[in-house]
Amino acid sequence: MALLEIKNLQIEFEVGGVVRRAVDRLSLSVEPGETVCLVGESGCGKSVTALSIARLLPSPPARYSGGQIWLNGREVLCMARGQLRKIRGAVVSYVFQNPAASLHPAFRIGSQIKESLRLHRPREASEFEVVRLLKWVGIPAPELRRNDYPHQLSGGLQQRAMIALALASRPKLLVADEPTTALDVTIQAQILELLHTLKGTLGMSILLITHNLGIVGGMADRVAVMYAGRIVESAPALDLLRRPLHPYSRALIQSVPRLGNHEQRLVAIPGQVPSLDAMPAGCRFHPRCSQVQPDCAGKAPVLIEVETQHWVRCPYWALRPATGEPKDAK
Amino acid sequence: MSLLGLAARDGRTKGREVNLLEVKELKVHFPVQRGWFGRNRDYLKAVDGVSFTIAAGETLGLVGESGCGKTTLGRAVVRLIEPTSGRILFDGEDITEMRRSKLRLRRRHFQMIFQDPYGSLDPHQTINQILGEALAVHKAFRHPVNRRNRAEELLRAVGLDPGCLLRYPHEFSGGQRQRIGIARALAVEPRLIVGDEPVSALDASVQAQIINLLSDLQRERGLAYLFIAHDLAVVEHISRRTIVMYLGKIVELADAKTLCRAPKHPYTQALISAVPVIGPDSRHKRILLSGEVPSPVNPPPGCPFHPRCPIAEARCRLEPPVLRETAPGHLAACHLAK
Repeated sequence: MALLEIKNLQIEFEVGGVVRRAVDRLSLSVEPGETVCLVGESGCGKSVTALSIARLLPSPPARYSGGQIWLNGREVLCMARGQLRKIRGAVVSYVFQNPAASLHPAFRIGSQIKESLRLHRPREASEFEVVRLLKWVGIPAPELRRNDYPHQLSGGLQQRAMIALALASRPKLLVADEPTTALDVTIQAQILELLHTLKGTLGMSILLITHNLGIVGGMADRVAVMYAGRIVESAPALDLLRRPLHPYSRALIQSVPRLGNHEQRLVAIPGQVPSLDAMPAGCRFHPRCSQVQPDCAGKAPVLIEVETQHWVRCPYWALRPATGEPKDAK
Repeated sequence: MSLLGLAARDGRTKGREVNLLEVKELKVHFPVQRGWFGRNRDYLKAVDGVSFTIAAGETLGLVGESGCGKTTLGRAVVRLIEPTSGRILFDGEDITEMRRSKLRLRRRHFQMIFQDPYGSLDPHQTINQILGEALAVHKAFRHPVNRRNRAEELLRAVGLDPGCLLRYPHEFSGGQRQRIGIARALAVEPRLIVGDEPVSALDASVQAQIINLLSDLQRERGLAYLFIAHDLAVVEHISRRTIVMYLGKIVELADAKTLCRAPKHPYTQALISAVPVIGPDSRHKRILLSGEVPSPVNPPPGCPFHPRCPIAEARCRLEPPVLRETAPGHLAACHLAK
């Protein structure tokens, strides 16, 4: 049984009487021990999806207008407050993009971690366990560092403290929402390595939300690409990176400059991500698509399984030979 | 020095290719107060003795991690931050100690594009006012009608609809705002544009559009860029030569392609290996650097990179390396670079 199974999730925001749908009939699953990447540009609904798993979206304005979220065998959307409290932390923990904003500025990091331990694992809530957790996430001199306030740590160390805090409750699922976007590349490499190792030792699952396709290959088992509130392609990670089938995934991969790739011009996607109140009819990518067909504006395409486990929301995926494989990738 | 200056001025008059910008031993030190009532003054050496040149029409990339001084350097070059010492020659003319009034006239020739397309446009001004102000300050187009025509022309040049002149910045997306920022920089027909992370805040699909736009504008107008970014792949794509900075110093300077193919400094090597690559095996062959960038107030003695360097030797802890030419046009500041 999947640890997380989202079925046909719809999330709407109502502001000033106008209803905007941010997530449209989204289905996604994460198996135990698996890393799933949710990739998309800003505004595509990936963070909203992530927050909905523990029902963290403020409601109103957010509204779950359809679908189900099954987490660890129980349905989240109909849970009462008390039940929600039990799954938050214990089953699902979060690591966000900006650790400085996620850690409490007025408490020492050690005491913040200890608070989480007291809540979730009261028997082990000791200074010893705090130090052990900080050591785990690679914070040097944890006996001293636990007495630091968040502002005394660098961005990379703050993110490590944040991960220690998220893991203190021993969650089954770690949702990492752009965990390395605010960090430098060398620190990003360290943090990704850390997440990967911890996943192995703890046997947890990770849902990694990112806009950076570059970090997918080394981390993910499966990838789902989102565009304008919908999943447009989902596949095993290597499949998707080698042979992206949806025109959007293909264009996204091609538009990123690569080291050692000396093409004169980048293949840019024309136009911009549509805003929530002006969603194009039919396929939402059709105004920017390079292989658009006459009926793309008419009917909304559905996800079709074109190969085992490889789903694409485009009926014309086979039109052009898939040339997504970067030339320099070995 | 005077000879160099003369040669440069001579070059300008004869129209030969000459360095548009020449930066010599530039230092920017910020005082940091410590102890009781700031009795002990320390200095944060944000930029510590940096020299480079940019030829007309060339793009020089500048990469480094946060806190390495790349933004300070970019701003000091156009004197938005006053340098502590060193020389900046623009087109052979020393602008380091130029009076403000005169500097303002010269600024027409070097403009800046900023990282944050939200913070760098005044939300209370229409696009027309934003562009018009740049034109007015530089007395380029005195008549309002001319100014308006010029503004429309600029919007077309950056791929925006000239009809949106009367709209406000909040009505545009991030990518469109960055285009407006570029239009503002272009307004006075500069010869050098300093771009401080101009594409870092943008999504992948929009980032490619802006990079292509910058290349097109360069080809059409012969612009030179100092392109500051933390993303090596972007810098390699757009630049002819690239500088890598670490703790206020240049650690490597080389042709952009060479730098990425055969980096000589261990820091550059680690930086390149940390760049996420789209592909199935992006986690192999990574050199993981331990630790983080040390504080620039108290940089380590010897080579500033030695505490994180995988190949550091005894002398790296004592002797600071000098930036030396290891191959024609390839400079590296490492004792062990060959």
